[in-house]
Amino acid sequence: MKNPLTKRLPRELKHDWKKYIVLLLFMVAMIGLASGVEVANGSMVASIDESYEKYNIEHGHFNLKEQASDQLLSDMPEEITIYEQFYKECSEDIDLDQCEDATVRIYAIRQEVNTACIHDGRLPEGPSEIAIDAGHARSNHIHTGDTMIIGGETFTVSGLIASPDYSSLYKNNSDFLFNAIEFNVAVVTDETWAALPSDATYQYAFQYKVKPENAKAQKEIADNLMGRIAMLAASDGVNALTDFVPEYANQAIHFAPDDLGKDRALVSVMVYVFIGVLAFIFAITTSNTIVNESAVIGTLRATGYRRSEVVRHYMILPICVTFLAAILGNLLGYTLFKNVCVNLYYSSYSLIKYETRWNAKAFLVTTIVPILLMALVNFIVIYRKLRLSPLRFLRRDLSTSKRTKAVRLPSWKFMKRFRLRILLHNVGGYLVLFFGIAFVMFLMAFAISLPETIDHYQSSIEENAIARNQYILKGCQDSNGQRITTQDEAAETISIENLLTTSGVRKGEEITVYGYAPDSRYIAISDTLEGNEVFVSEPYQNKFHLSVGDTITLEEKFEDVSYSFTVRGIYDFSGSLCIFLPQENFNHIFHLEAGAFTGYMSDNIISDLPEDMIYTTIDAKAMTGMAAQLDYSIGGILDVFSWVCMLMGLLLMYLLTKIIIEKNAGSISMLKVLGYRNREINGLFILLTSIVVLLSTAVCAFLGIWGVMGAFRLFLNQINGWFDVYISVGGFIKMVLLLLLAYAFVAFFDMQRMKKIPLSDALKNVE
Amino acid sequence: MGENTFLTVKNICKSFGEGSSRQDVLRGMDFTVTKGEFCVLLGPSGSGKSTLLNIIGGIDQADSGYIAIDGDKLRDMNERALTEYRRKHLGYVFQLYNLIPNLNVKENIEVGAYLSDQPLPIDDLLHTLGLWEHRYKLPNQLSGGQQQRTSIGRAIVKNPDILLCDEPTGALDYNTSKEILKLIEDVNQKYGNTVIMVTHNNAISDMADHTIKLRDGKVRHNILNEHKISAAELEW
Repeated sequence: MKNPLTKRLPRELKHDWKKYIVLLLFMVAMIGLASGVEVANGSMVASIDESYEKYNIEHGHFNLKEQASDQLLSDMPEEITIYEQFYKECSEDIDLDQCEDATVRIYAIRQEVNTACIHDGRLPEGPSEIAIDAGHARSNHIHTGDTMIIGGETFTVSGLIASPDYSSLYKNNSDFLFNAIEFNVAVVTDETWAALPSDATYQYAFQYKVKPENAKAQKEIADNLMGRIAMLAASDGVNALTDFVPEYANQAIHFAPDDLGKDRALVSVMVYVFIGVLAFIFAITTSNTIVNESAVIGTLRATGYRRSEVVRHYMILPICVTFLAAILGNLLGYTLFKNVCVNLYYSSYSLIKYETRWNAKAFLVTTIVPILLMALVNFIVIYRKLRLSPLRFLRRDLSTSKRTKAVRLPSWKFMKRFRLRILLHNVGGYLVLFFGIAFVMFLMAFAISLPETIDHYQSSIEENAIARNQYILKGCQDSNGQRITTQDEAAETISIENLLTTSGVRKGEEITVYGYAPDSRYIAISDTLEGNEVFVSEPYQNKFHLSVGDTITLEEKFEDVSYSFTVRGIYDFSGSLCIFLPQENFNHIFHLEAGAFTGYMSDNIISDLPEDMIYTTIDAKAMTGMAAQLDYSIGGILDVFSWVCMLMGLLLMYLLTKIIIEKNAGSISMLKVLGYRNREINGLFILLTSIVVLLSTAVCAFLGIWGVMGAFRLFLNQINGWFDVYISVGGFIKMVLLLLLAYAFVAFFDMQRMKKIPLSDALKNVE
Repeated sequence: MGENTFLTVKNICKSFGEGSSRQDVLRGMDFTVTKGEFCVLLGPSGSGKSTLLNIIGGIDQADSGYIAIDGDKLRDMNERALTEYRRKHLGYVFQLYNLIPNLNVKENIEVGAYLSDQPLPIDDLLHTLGLWEHRYKLPNQLSGGQQQRTSIGRAIVKNPDILLCDEPTGALDYNTSKEILKLIEDVNQKYGNTVIMVTHNNAISDMADHTIKLRDGKVRHNILNEHKISAAELEW
């Protein structure tokens, strides 16, 4: 015979449909999101994995100062095959307004390595055709057939492509973040490439003839290769190795797939935490039901129902709801959410085409694990509750507390004491409410603080830039051996070197060493620094926990040379991780001639520097590119997310306060019988809950920000660069107000619910 | 122990609390009940009759002494065995019915039937209980008497060896009480279950085969009633 108790389940669902709908919607949304991310991610990562072979991705590349001679090429290590992939960088004018909108790195169509994946259109065939990066095109609303000005010439976009070695558009491997808005990668025909006006960068891709077996071997071989190529390149006294990026260390190749992987992990954890919270809510609800049905449970147990049968009975609904949510969530995941995720990825990254694939891990993460989690949490709570003897249930004596006397309260007014009694009686429910609010506030802090942090970073970079313009020169002397000078009165020389960290929270992090001119107006360090004494920038201090007096050791990128510096002070500059020392000391430490420098900086635009000697120009726009990219990639979503958090808060508080009210339905009913007005009853229950919500929101807002700061610190420790999480007073108030607004709705629903509690509840059979 | 002895209660003692607040509820009770007997445990409030019934039902434990059903001592059973014992041999009727609110009459009776390999035919039972017309009603649509009938149906549908009734008429009016007592009497006669009923109502002992009067945790009188009357004839 089928267990007749199962007939209760659809009736229970119908009776409490609002609660179950809310829980179901929550779970469908979370599972759908997780499923979408998993499927989109899994499909994308599988395509990326296959792309190594399909598009013949390089195993690394290096740049030389000059084109390699035939002799140099023939002397190159035998274990690698070398392919020329020279590029030129030109200005890009998208809206044809004669202003530079982006920089485009142009290759001749690559036939052997890093071949292009065509998203739309075709590869260029004519002299004024260009195929550009699809991610950049999407970020700037460029379509196939559009025209744009590249290096002063008009080009037609023949197609949109993804270059497998630029799945995220990092201009330089050391950049903090890719920039799909202001950096573009494109291909043109050989003839067109040759005719481009800019200087070529002599980049060579290489592939190992025998690929190293593992990561360790890969690094060892790459390090060895780098040293040998550097030596060979320098052997003729003219050429030099200027960049060496093995594939495993190439952010442009790895950042996107790594980020996809992190997204999967993050979303999985979020789903687990969320399902855990919901499981706990389910368990508390069931726990209250058990209290209400204790006499029935006692009777069932007394007539011979096994504890396991009763436990199973109360576990069926949460598991069924989770199962249904998993089915609906996965349906949404494979359809709607997958497309949302894919669009998000394509709007940030320049990924190759993908095919949707069945994902076993997605099934595990979104179906098996949530059901197991729900079952486990509910089993623990329900089993503990049902551990008592049948007699205790028959007597409705389910208290596990050994307290026999009530807590003595101060001699406050009656209503105040009454409220305190309600708080003490429902302390468990209010604690869960606190944790629910904490969870929402953490997400809310993330949603509100990140856009503010980006804006703050952007404005502080612009305000606190060392100088508005920096001009890095190819050398400090022109071809005639004359020192390069400028008439700009605001200009001063600057020396720059990039070194890598050797220890601390992140090894291999790039640190910029600035050598400033005497009495510099841009780097205002009044202390006299001797020898290897330096000031460090605030981000460097924060990320690596540096203090005055510490010794830091940095090393050269391509050579086995290290330098030690002593921290004399912290310089108020938030732009990057860098150290500052006088130019004279700089030249001495790096064995440069007295008076040598790397370039000029000025708050003015310097126009009298010889064009052919300018290696690169850094202006405020270039410095804030990262912030613009972040804002484009996630700014809009986070704005929506803060409202989603509010909705989440509303639903969570609705469920949790519902539990508290249901638990107290008997008392509320009795108060009505005794003649209390609804207003007075609200004054007890709603006011108390409001106070708890208000205090919890205030405390949790701080906890949320603190949690986000901690999470960011962990995240930033894994990548280049640093910025401090920032939230304005307005942002903080917005966080609190959004949640309180959500609670206003909840309080309204609660008042209606309490109003509907019948007087007869108090008169129900109680032994 | 006589040949027909079915239930043996031997020197049962039970107390609650510790130290100065210790209260002896049962102080050494001895009696036996034969199979198919209608036995009433009669006593005033606090005499220990409900505690004794709970110990017989295996949902409470004696401090000393033992209960034996058909020779099997409950004290030798672990929790699992006690559950199986209740499942196979016992039916329970409580003063406050304890019906499942969102199951209808028939389904509440099915809750009991589920526990038995050979339950009584439910439709027949519904007729016997006078609940056929009400079989699709929920408990809150029933009168007290109808609810108690349903609870009796739930207890007897698995055709238990022993039907334990804890003040089954305690919450009912005179006429309804008589109806319920009549029903229990009919069930006892029709199905031959041993009935042990706890009550404080002296009159009910007139319809019993066997009355055990309790006071202060002890058996004061153990009476076999040779001139019992039917429930319909009871007056109080």
